[in-house]
Amino acid sequence: MGETQLEKPVKKKMSKSAFREHCWGLAFVAPPFIGFCIFMAFPIVFAFIASLTKWNGMNNMFDNFVGLRNYINLMTDAKFWKVLLNTVIYMLGIPLGMILGIVIAMGMNRKIRGIKVLRTMYYIPVISSLVAVAILWMWVFNYDYGLLNSIIKTLTGQHGPNWLGDEFWVKVSMIIFMTWKGLGTSIILYLSGLQSIPKDYYEAAKIDGASGWNLFKNITWPLVSPVTFYLLITGMIGGFQVFVEVLVMVPSGGLNYSAATVVFYLYDKAFSNNQMGYASAMAFILAIVIFIITAINFVGQDKWVKTID
Amino acid sequence: MKLKKMLALGMLTVMAVSAVLTGCGGGGSSSSGSSSDGKATLSIFVYGNEQEQAIYTDMINQFKEAHADEVADIEVQYSTKDDYGTTLTGMMTAKDLPDVYYIGPETVSQYVDNGYAASLTPYLEELGLDTSDLMQDILNFYRYDGTTTGQGDLYGLPHDASVFAYAYNKDLFDKEGIPYPDPENPYTYDEFVEVCKQFTKDTDSDGEIDQWGCGAANAFMLYQYIWSNGASFLSDDYKTVTIDTPEFKEGLQKYIDLTLTHKVTPTVEQDASLGVYQRWLAGQEAFYACGTWDVAAFMDDETFPFEWDLCAYPTLSTGKTATWCGTVGYAVSALSDNQKLATELAYWMSADTEGNKQLSGITTGQSIQLPNLVSLADGEFRDAINDGSLPFPSNVDVFFNYLNGTGDYEGRMMESTYTPNAEWADIFFEGLDNVKNGSMTVDEYVAQVQPQMQDALDNAWESVE
Repeated sequence: MGETQLEKPVKKKMSKSAFREHCWGLAFVAPPFIGFCIFMAFPIVFAFIASLTKWNGMNNMFDNFVGLRNYINLMTDAKFWKVLLNTVIYMLGIPLGMILGIVIAMGMNRKIRGIKVLRTMYYIPVISSLVAVAILWMWVFNYDYGLLNSIIKTLTGQHGPNWLGDEFWVKVSMIIFMTWKGLGTSIILYLSGLQSIPKDYYEAAKIDGASGWNLFKNITWPLVSPVTFYLLITGMIGGFQVFVEVLVMVPSGGLNYSAATVVFYLYDKAFSNNQMGYASAMAFILAIVIFIITAINFVGQDKWVKTID
Repeated sequence: MKLKKMLALGMLTVMAVSAVLTGCGGGGSSSSGSSSDGKATLSIFVYGNEQEQAIYTDMINQFKEAHADEVADIEVQYSTKDDYGTTLTGMMTAKDLPDVYYIGPETVSQYVDNGYAASLTPYLEELGLDTSDLMQDILNFYRYDGTTTGQGDLYGLPHDASVFAYAYNKDLFDKEGIPYPDPENPYTYDEFVEVCKQFTKDTDSDGEIDQWGCGAANAFMLYQYIWSNGASFLSDDYKTVTIDTPEFKEGLQKYIDLTLTHKVTPTVEQDASLGVYQRWLAGQEAFYACGTWDVAAFMDDETFPFEWDLCAYPTLSTGKTATWCGTVGYAVSALSDNQKLATELAYWMSADTEGNKQLSGITTGQSIQLPNLVSLADGEFRDAINDGSLPFPSNVDVFFNYLNGTGDYEGRMMESTYTPNAEWADIFFEGLDNVKNGSMTVDEYVAQVQPQMQDALDNAWESVE
């Protein structure tokens, strides 16, 4: 049979210049690679091993292996499901922020005097310290002396709600705060999206008699969909990791833990109650949830994300 | 040639980074060590406010001077109280503990069992350092024999012994023409309510109450009512939640009644606007608590521009007035290469006479803690209060009565001091405002949270088995 023997690839000796280039390549790749190993890969592996133990930060985790028990316990931990629900409820702020963002961006996408000042003003919350603005909003939400309740009392004569002390209103408060804090980013991104839409599209549609709403529905909204997608993805990933806002504004987690998020509970378990293993398991579940939701978003994007090309 | 140099530089950088990171991983030894001249470098990690830090720095420098032949340097790391535990856990994980650090009574057994805290007893004996003048009840919290705390070797020396006593605003008493409370005869609960009612009023006639008898901060002020009613959160072995006893429920009900029935405290909503501590500072409450650490601040007119003094919490069915005490101590790392010298430093910080004088205010005029030394507490400390050189409330005995359990006074550690974590207690306090605002009854609330608390307590014990 005409069996052709596969020739062994000849190992070519690397030329000096190729070797030099090879070394340079490695040298440039090394810092981020080492950084990734030390600061990402190692902690991830470490946390995964910890999640299989009842490590409390002091004991030897390898002597306290419990298998998947932390994960099983988490599934029946009512408090975990409660904080997960709280976290998801906070995400109602994402579409709210998007709607406000595009409305304000459209308002700003025109030549009016002082527009740069206006744009800067909307962006100030984004660049401000999260802790500082959270403290500021604590006072806005104050029951007796807060700005919000003063306005409510002036307008209605009635006392406003106990914003941060009530199980329902604390969630509303957090959504309002988080939407306000992230609005600047939405506006800026939508603004750049709006400015990249060619004017011809609108002109052609107008000639065909399209109304303002039709222009928005059929041109603007589809063509800023990549921005919407980006805001949705980053908003959801960030939303699952909300922590500082709760820690500053409702340090106890709220009445009946009504304000606590997954990361807040995780922190509480790890550092207040020394249950590092359990907290690590929670971190892994959270990472898996984020991964699944992000994957669904990416898979689904083909159906609604349009680009100009 | 140039390339070779660059490559060599690159390699060196990578190696240096690796070496540093390997160092970070820790080799099981403390960061301190010995210098070439044989002198040791010690490290200490503590928390405190700026005023405390200045005093600690001063004490540490004095130790360094007094031990110049043995100590090359002392590395001091300060933290806030809130961040301390997190940082220390990180240090333990990295096996990179400072030579001297804080230990609480609740962590003695865990730190010892896991090899982080060294026994001080042999070093104290070898150095001839006497602990008999320290408060023995407090000192015993740092003893551990491998199975039971309270006995055996010493693993810590007290940094302080604190008491959360009661206080009253003298100016308000004068204004309302009500006689001052007598620390020798604490109010009964009913007497206390009657007095509080006289203070609770709308002073500016705007239709809203703006002055109250007292403030009630749940996590700090419920214990007094529970304990005085002969109840406790946990069984004697700290393994069972006992909040369903009639005594506990009655104590809790009486505490809740202050807000809900007698209305002598701010409501839950008012508390959310301005905390009861801030209202006390603003002169809106006749009674509030005063911890030993609060004295300097309360004696400062800028913080608290009122005359005030200490008194006892009201008594319930046992007739005893109770409150919680606390302590934190200095431990020596079992990983330290200089345990003997570190023990000397810990002793210096705990029992040095000059340091005690500074912290208790005898020499500084600002008291942030009681002296650890009994002789000092009974002698110069009281003298300084009596001659006016140390601004302090005249009923100073209230602190010591609670601490020493004198007469009808009783001071205890919170029960979470004896459990591996305090999650079970957090669960109780998380929803207590539901009862305080009238949404739930005491019975309903107890029935709801007891199983959750028991689960958390079981998990806590299981985590250290």
